[in-house]
Amino acid sequence: MFARFDRLVSHRFIALVRKELNQIKRDRRIMLSLILPPLLQLMLFGSVMNPSVTNLQLGVVDDSRTPVSRDLVAALGQSGTFRLRTLYASTGAMGDAISKGTIDAGVVIPYDFARDLARGRPVTVQVLLNAMNANTAAISQGYIQGVVQSFNQTLRHPPVQTAIQPMPAAAQRGVALLKPTLLYNPGGVTTWFIVTGLLGVLLLMNGTITASTTMVKEREAGTLEQLLMTPASISEIIVAKIAPPFFLLGITGLVAMAVLQFYFHVPFRGSVTLLVVTSALCLLCGIGIGTAVATVTKSAQQAQLAIFFLNPPLISLSGALMPAEAMPSWMRPFTVVNPVYHYGVIARATLIKGSGFIDLWPNVVALLIFAIVLVSVSVWRFRRQLG
Amino acid sequence: MRIDSLKRVVAQTRKELTELLRDRLAIALALLLPLIQLALLGSSFALIVRDLPIIVQDYDDSTASRELIDQFRASLTFRIVPWPTDSKPDIAFANGQARGALVIPRDFGRHIARGMNADVQIIVDGSDANTAKLVSGYAGGVVRSFNQAHGGGPMPTGVQTAIRFWYNPSLSSQKFYAPGIFVMALSMFPPLLATLAMAREGELKTILQVYVSNISAHEFVLGKVLAFVAVGLAEASVLLVFLFSFFGIRLAGDPTPFVLSTLLYTFCVASFGVMVGAAIPNQGAAMQAVMFGGFLLVFMLSGLMFPLSNVPVGLRWISILVWARYYIEIVRDAFLQGGGWPAVWWKVLAIGVIGTGFYAVAWRRMRRMQLEM
Repeated sequence: MFARFDRLVSHRFIALVRKELNQIKRDRRIMLSLILPPLLQLMLFGSVMNPSVTNLQLGVVDDSRTPVSRDLVAALGQSGTFRLRTLYASTGAMGDAISKGTIDAGVVIPYDFARDLARGRPVTVQVLLNAMNANTAAISQGYIQGVVQSFNQTLRHPPVQTAIQPMPAAAQRGVALLKPTLLYNPGGVTTWFIVTGLLGVLLLMNGTITASTTMVKEREAGTLEQLLMTPASISEIIVAKIAPPFFLLGITGLVAMAVLQFYFHVPFRGSVTLLVVTSALCLLCGIGIGTAVATVTKSAQQAQLAIFFLNPPLISLSGALMPAEAMPSWMRPFTVVNPVYHYGVIARATLIKGSGFIDLWPNVVALLIFAIVLVSVSVWRFRRQLG
Repeated sequence: MRIDSLKRVVAQTRKELTELLRDRLAIALALLLPLIQLALLGSSFALIVRDLPIIVQDYDDSTASRELIDQFRASLTFRIVPWPTDSKPDIAFANGQARGALVIPRDFGRHIARGMNADVQIIVDGSDANTAKLVSGYAGGVVRSFNQAHGGGPMPTGVQTAIRFWYNPSLSSQKFYAPGIFVMALSMFPPLLATLAMAREGELKTILQVYVSNISAHEFVLGKVLAFVAVGLAEASVLLVFLFSFFGIRLAGDPTPFVLSTLLYTFCVASFGVMVGAAIPNQGAAMQAVMFGGFLLVFMLSGLMFPLSNVPVGLRWISILVWARYYIEIVRDAFLQGGGWPAVWWKVLAIGVIGTGFYAVAWRRMRRMQLEM
């Protein structure tokens, strides 16, 4: 073990690393592509990809035209979820507006709304939601029902209520009132979920791309044979090739974490060490995949294409951008064999929930196994190709 | 004269298609990969969670509390996992065993029976804020139905809501996302092939043969574009069959805007590919440019995943120029909303305008290089 380690940091190895570093330094494009795109992608994706439900345009048909009905409409528009846009004269006109997309939701208040409320009769208000986007519709539904519930609570006390006849015994039971609490994220900031998932996506994406291009480049230029003729062993060559992009991307990863903290204000509740170590593992997985791809493709262009088709399924089946629990059940087992999934779970839990290694060890172990397997497969492929 | 010109266009198109059909990788790119992408992404894109593990801390243990728990157990959204009452729910959240906790306080049943209101708490893991909001909304629904079943009812005098989900009553995420992925595939693969074909002519210098031949810039560009329009339409039909059969998506209204805009859109993306290929005579670089326009812009700024209104204003204006944005809206209208021409006419127009712009740039690029006859 020690002897092997000794061999790895020999002069030969250092010379190889220096050669790689010089190559990277000389090629401004590689240097830039290692640092700039990941950060830009993080900031851009992080601010653009946002599932929050705000500013939905609300149309109203108020046939009641009373202070009470206006109170209800005002209550619906109180938070940022709905913005009152137009009052319509008829339901038909409002329906047309929904189908044209000018408004996202409509409320119809019947003409006997205030009268029935005053008399203590139940009133039904119709709500039309454009449910094309199921998520938006489901969240608006919960929101509307919450508003109406608290509106009913305010109705409970007016003097009209005292005149109501005692209700039959069966109906005299009390009601359960639900108090929802958002743990770890009381403000309900939706970007935290996306950016913590993006971290893994970026590590994987950039790891695969840089690894495959640096590996293929040497072969395309025909200089690989020259490297093989040096006294360095194949493992030394590979490790020396992997090390510089690994460290450079690692630095980029650290900067990305700073972006998370200072630009997106993600709380850093858990162990940063755990996050850094697992980030390194995730990066190794990416580099392993990229190297393996480079050994089966013939040109940089082919490698690029192959990576381009490998990454989307890895990302879409990772639960990094959308919750894994929302996937159809036949797809969910696939997430277990996806390093991005495990890294996403770890990043989210350590940063936002403050979980530690004791809570996350299955994911950490899985990531470790993937890193080892992927890197050894790529080394094996590389060796076989040259042998 | 015109017949001759038409013949040359057709010849160019035929040459392009023959070249394509010989290349197995290209056929896979054109037909197989989009299909895989549609199947994978179309099924996996969803925000609405099902079967979310929650734990229950019942400090009351009365008939009423058990009935409430049963209501939660019956819901498709929640799955109750066992958890000892004496350990804190945070631990279950930290290791991901549970994403929510229902806490029923002592005396819950007694309060209900006495006609008083009783508070129940649902603590939701906020690390995924969207899911947390969904879950608290669903939990509210479960509690409401508990109240209704138990005679208390949500205030006998109160306001009740009758919510109608238009266009997607089952709240299926696939009905929203699958058409979007269809658009993404159509924005990616035809221009990718077009740009590779065009850049290859530049790389191999076969473009010089075109310059000195008697084919005009219009004929050449149009011939190329038409070939990839054909590729795009073939791809669109394959994907549509899949959409109809696998995802069970149906046309909601007048299909003419969709049909016309599909023709225009394939023209638009094919022209985009040819334009990029003409501008960058290097296959690798041209491919990256197409990936930026055909994938990144579509993915981020067309409303494919998340509503465009959530994009910060400083970036949102870019979406005005993103061709896929208009097509996505037309496709969603055709498959879900059914608004027809009055809702989408200007979007069809926008695609046509952007496509013509691409074509014009590609043509100018060719014109400049062509020898004067």
